[in-house]
Amino acid sequence: MPAKFVHKKTPKIGVLGAISRNASALVLGLKYFFEPNRFTLMYPREYIVLDKRYRGFIVLNKNKCIGCESCARVCPTGAMKMIKIEVPDPKNPGKKKIAKYPTINHQRCVYCGFCVDICPTEALYHVPVHDVVYFNLADMIQDLESFQKEPVSPAAAEGAIPVKYVFDPERGLVKVRVKEGEKK
Amino acid sequence: MQAGEVPKINMSSWEVGESRYLPGMEIKRLGKERFVVYIGPQHPGSGHMRIIIKVDGDVIVEADPDLGYVHRTMEKLSEGRAFIKIIPLVERMAILDACNVTLPYVEAVEKLLGLEPPERAKYLRVALCEINRIASHLYGFGIFGVFLGHSTMYMWGFGDREVLVELAEKLTGARLTHTYPIFGGVRRDAPQNFTDNLRKAIRYLRKRLDEYRKIFLDNPVIRRRLEGVGIVPKKVAVDLGLVGPNLRASGVEYDVRAIEPYEAYDELDFEIPVFEEGDSLARAWVRVEEIKQSLRILEQIADKLDKTKGQQIMHDRFWAKAPPLYKKVFEAEGRVKLMPLFAILRVPKGRSFARTEAARGEITYYVESDGKDKPYRVRIVSPSFRNAIMFKYVIPGHRIADLPAIYGSFDYFPPEADR
Amino acid sequence: MAYLSVWTLTERVISIVFWGIVKLIFWPPIYQFVIIPGLAAAMVVVISIIWFERKAAARVQMRYGPWEVSPRLAGYLQLFADLIRYSFQEIIIPRTVDLMPFLTSPLFALLLSILPLAVIPVSPVKWTWPLTPSAMRYSVLIAAALTTLSPIFIVAMGWASNNRFATIGSMRETFLITAYELSAVIGLFSVVATVHSFDFTKVVAFQGGGKWLGLINPLALLATFIATLISTSAFPFEISDAENEIVAGPFTEYSGLMYGINMGSAYIKRWAMSILIALAFLGGWRPYIPPPNAGYVTGYLIPSLIVTAKAVIVMALMSFLRAVYGRYRIDQALHVSWKYVFALAIAGFGLAILEGYIL
Repeated sequence: MPAKFVHKKTPKIGVLGAISRNASALVLGLKYFFEPNRFTLMYPREYIVLDKRYRGFIVLNKNKCIGCESCARVCPTGAMKMIKIEVPDPKNPGKKKIAKYPTINHQRCVYCGFCVDICPTEALYHVPVHDVVYFNLADMIQDLESFQKEPVSPAAAEGAIPVKYVFDPERGLVKVRVKEGEKK
Repeated sequence: MQAGEVPKINMSSWEVGESRYLPGMEIKRLGKERFVVYIGPQHPGSGHMRIIIKVDGDVIVEADPDLGYVHRTMEKLSEGRAFIKIIPLVERMAILDACNVTLPYVEAVEKLLGLEPPERAKYLRVALCEINRIASHLYGFGIFGVFLGHSTMYMWGFGDREVLVELAEKLTGARLTHTYPIFGGVRRDAPQNFTDNLRKAIRYLRKRLDEYRKIFLDNPVIRRRLEGVGIVPKKVAVDLGLVGPNLRASGVEYDVRAIEPYEAYDELDFEIPVFEEGDSLARAWVRVEEIKQSLRILEQIADKLDKTKGQQIMHDRFWAKAPPLYKKVFEAEGRVKLMPLFAILRVPKGRSFARTEAARGEITYYVESDGKDKPYRVRIVSPSFRNAIMFKYVIPGHRIADLPAIYGSFDYFPPEADR
Repeated sequence: MAYLSVWTLTERVISIVFWGIVKLIFWPPIYQFVIIPGLAAAMVVVISIIWFERKAAARVQMRYGPWEVSPRLAGYLQLFADLIRYSFQEIIIPRTVDLMPFLTSPLFALLLSILPLAVIPVSPVKWTWPLTPSAMRYSVLIAAALTTLSPIFIVAMGWASNNRFATIGSMRETFLITAYELSAVIGLFSVVATVHSFDFTKVVAFQGGGKWLGLINPLALLATFIATLISTSAFPFEISDAENEIVAGPFTEYSGLMYGINMGSAYIKRWAMSILIALAFLGGWRPYIPPPNAGYVTGYLIPSLIVTAKAVIVMALMSFLRAVYGRYRIDQALHVSWKYVFALAIAGFGLAILEGYIL
């Protein structure tokens, strides 16, 4: 059934209405003054334990990578580049062969996750971390080694309280502390 | 000049020979008691644009919107990239409305490919579209509130938007730039408790809308600022080609969801509010009513998502031949893995055209492919761009203090207009 | 013997110095103008009220407000941090300004906002009055007259800044002055009609036994309250320095400490007006009555603190409105103030005359 158009008028308020509307606005303000409803995350003291589905930092599992270049080809910003390195050839022991692996430039990455989704062997994966800080731009260009390391949230590393938000029909979002056990 | 009256543009001064100046750069003598004020681009009430106003005392006699401060050549950039790479690009147009602004592009390419997404994918697209629509309207309300000095509306709008952003994050994995719809379907299935969370959020937002009404829309101070300000008569709105809630606030029945239903909108039962007055207050109210209807749509979508649980969300062309690993990942994580051919997808030769109703109005894409892996041309007409013309004709005749009340009520979003 | 006399001498010197300092502190012109309710108290109150304003608005608005600077004091020290920052920020003076008025107007505006506090009594004890008893008979009149002086310097600031937004802002201020002054003065003078005296001490004495003028004449109180909101650009009348319309109005070109002074002087004016409201409508230092032969503490400090507490409550109420209201347009504010507030003030005055006749 297609949508219907419904004509409406903005409600009118008279002089008496204006007085009562003033009062109800003030009462509502006072209500929230006494019972505030806050979502604020006290960030460096608390951090959100993100979902596993969160599209956070991207990490390479080198063992699974077959060097197919799909990730570099699909990357919309050109953040993912293939590099060639010499690795021992399993077929000819003692010989070396050229293998291709992706590396990422976090200056350019927009975390669309196309590379993760297009990887035919699940060699790339998202880590539910979004608050890694780099001290200079050069650090953001990952090499093969650092691309394989899972980044750790600096807040979590410094012992911040893990929290997560759960939906609530009365208060919208409620911040709940995450216990050690249920983190993963 | 009366408010809302469309002045005649004097074309003669543009003709070569008659004027020594290029169009738009003429030097005119101001009236004796006139005053030029540059509102923007570094003004707390302008956004990424400039409105050059001429005032006579406190009354604006001429307004000249000056756009283009955040132009990013999206159309030209699109000609140089593969089809799939354009999705993350164009969603930067309006990141808080990401699904709505990318969906017509995806649909246009799907038309060229001859694909129809599966049923559940359609529901998921509609779900994210409506979540984005509400979030975008709340953002607009926030900005509108702070323009009128109402800081509580600003914080409430942005605070409650968090609920919707959180929902979108649970669905897509990203808070804002979701990159969710993709050729042939969507990228992620809804997580286990998504519909429960959705219903909770709907209940919360219904309650909050009532409170917004109390503190903002029915607040006598705000009402006096908005009532009868920036009236756009029906005829002017049509003549100047307004779109979206701004058009519907002037009493015109036009909504792409109704006149040309896309995705699952023809299966859903909802109303499209139309207000008659055409003033700033009506433009605020039409958004509130739209949020209510969006909540109604989301409720129905929640039921439909429960019914179609476990169904496929990717078109068979990209899913039937998927290796077992892909199906395993989908079953375990609800993540649709893309076939490697997406990166080099060749789209058949042809032209296609698609439009959707984004939060700020109708957004249109024209995609032309010459059979290669990159489009020949992508043309985008965004809703804010079509609404921007209105500043020139609505603002004159009002006071300087009305400028934020009008600017905010149009929910104008410069990055979307400049593309 | 000599030892003892040196000791007593020292003792005497110390006691002279100590009591001298005490006397100096409690010398009415110093005490009223510099300590309570003058500059020092105003400073503390303004800082606390700005803190309260930010915290209250934050509670309504789903946030915490200032917190990070001193979590245990709920961010109270943030305001001092701001003050220090303002004091050390570079003061940029544009080349196009009219230098003398540009530099001096903020100081005059600040000084004149606080001047009414130098002529009001904060205690019924006679020696504490800053004016002679004969001049005290006109204290309501003098205080009301002094409150009307500072806005002219805000207009001067806008004009001296030579900036379009500042010009528009000072134009708005000019319009608003005419709109609120009359209501504020008539509202304040309605107490005179009831009490039959221009003397603040008599006004307060009249309000003994819970017979607060604000309770028996709420119309005049409301009119004065709203006029105060307009005069100190509080919400919903934050019009002359509306940020989203005209940046900061008359203060657009000011930076650093000069801007801090401007921002503070609106609050200090609100403070002075709140003190006047507390005295005229909320019973002043009543229900406290100083004992006969009252000393510095019982006769001066305690009553002044009671007045301060009442004024702080009035000010907190004014600040809370930020969380609920937006701002009016200039013509609407004029409409409200001439059509409703002025009528309210006149009605309050009429009621006051009636009550003055009956009571």
